[in-house]
Amino acid sequence: MASSSSSLPSPSSSSSSSSSKKLVLRSSDEKHFEVDEAVALQSEMIKQMVEDGFGGDVIPLLNVSSNILSKVIDYCKKHVDFDSKKKMDDRRRWDAEYIDVGVDELYHLIMAANYRNIKGLLDLTCQKVADTIKGKKPKQIRIIFNIKNDVTPEGEQKIRKEHSWAFE
Amino acid sequence: MEFNLLPEDCVSHILSLTSPRDACRYCLVSTALRSAAQSNVVWENFLPSDFQEILWMSVSPVSFLSKKELYFSLCSPILVDGGRKVFSLDKFTGKKCYMLCARELSITWGSDPMYWTWKPLSESRFAEVAELRSIWWLEIHGKINSRMLSPKTTYAAYLVVKFADRAYGLDSLPSELSVEVGSHQSRAKAYLRCHDNRKESLERLYYSNRIQVLGARVEQGEERLPCERSDGWMEVELGDFFTDGCDGEVKMSLTEVKGYHLKGGLIVEGIEVRPKV
Repeated sequence: MASSSSSLPSPSSSSSSSSSKKLVLRSSDEKHFEVDEAVALQSEMIKQMVEDGFGGDVIPLLNVSSNILSKVIDYCKKHVDFDSKKKMDDRRRWDAEYIDVGVDELYHLIMAANYRNIKGLLDLTCQKVADTIKGKKPKQIRIIFNIKNDVTPEGEQKIRKEHSWAFE
Repeated sequence: MEFNLLPEDCVSHILSLTSPRDACRYCLVSTALRSAAQSNVVWENFLPSDFQEILWMSVSPVSFLSKKELYFSLCSPILVDGGRKVFSLDKFTGKKCYMLCARELSITWGSDPMYWTWKPLSESRFAEVAELRSIWWLEIHGKINSRMLSPKTTYAAYLVVKFADRAYGLDSLPSELSVEVGSHQSRAKAYLRCHDNRKESLERLYYSNRIQVLGARVEQGEERLPCERSDGWMEVELGDFFTDGCDGEVKMSLTEVKGYHLKGGLIVEGIEVRPKV
């Protein structure tokens, strides 16, 4: 269940159990998200902050926009559920649907997962990019990711010669 | 996506989830991607997790400056385990390949010089090969622990042989081939001979009844022929199996004990276990 970027979790909808402790996260565009502590603690970075006694205030996430943060929270919430149920098939199916996004969104998700240190999400997003580029020719990779070719013809010749088996 | 803006450890993480072949090809995309595609993080991931142990087992030291260099050093076969095995990596996948020398196999009557002789052969990777002088009971077994191999991979075992000019009696009856691990069994048969159209069609013409009668002594199943290898040896596939990452002894064998006739001239180098393509 990949939620659209417009349906941001509101304080009321994000609470699965009203008694658990809440944390407030603030996106780069100044939107506030109240989430269960267990959900926020999927991020190693936030876990570290809470352990260091930062828990009471709003946690600012300077380089994560509200669209992406909402998507990241979706992931963390779902995985808190999955962790308690241990249904691997459901998890795989949900992950596959969740990660079916364009390269731009993928880029922002990787950056967010890397910055907030959410291992599961980082593995999922990196695997998606790897699956996208596997078996592709250098030219196709440049097109997908809009990369400028700065390899000199001599450099190219050297690489082709060194690894001729890889280009057969 | 601004791929170039991703932190380098993310790019390395992504590349390590592709394949050695892909990582070599990505060197052409851009200079930034090239430096990530050559990093130790990426190539260490392509190496088997126990590569350090394999280096300790190596007969001669393997020198390398980077993990990528080490990867390609290991793609060329190295002698390990006191010269009793040869180890290499499959270049395309990084999966482990082993070859056990003839001395590592259990050959029935192999220590009796009446039946088998042991000698060095310049074309062999090992110090010695076994040559069958003459015997009617041909039985060769080998085993390897599947934990030594790459996990979650379909492997096949191959008996690596040559035929001496004087070879005889080896293809009167098909040899029985078998690979077993746990409850898995793979069985087939093979005529031990070099492929020779003329000889085979003459045989079919004059001895078809005899071939049928003799062949009926062996269980029916897939019939294989030895294939030529790029190193000048020939190989017979003994069977395949899947490694699930658990401990398990893989038992591989070739037997021809139902013909009761003498045969000779088979030169055995060893058994190779490599990923099945």
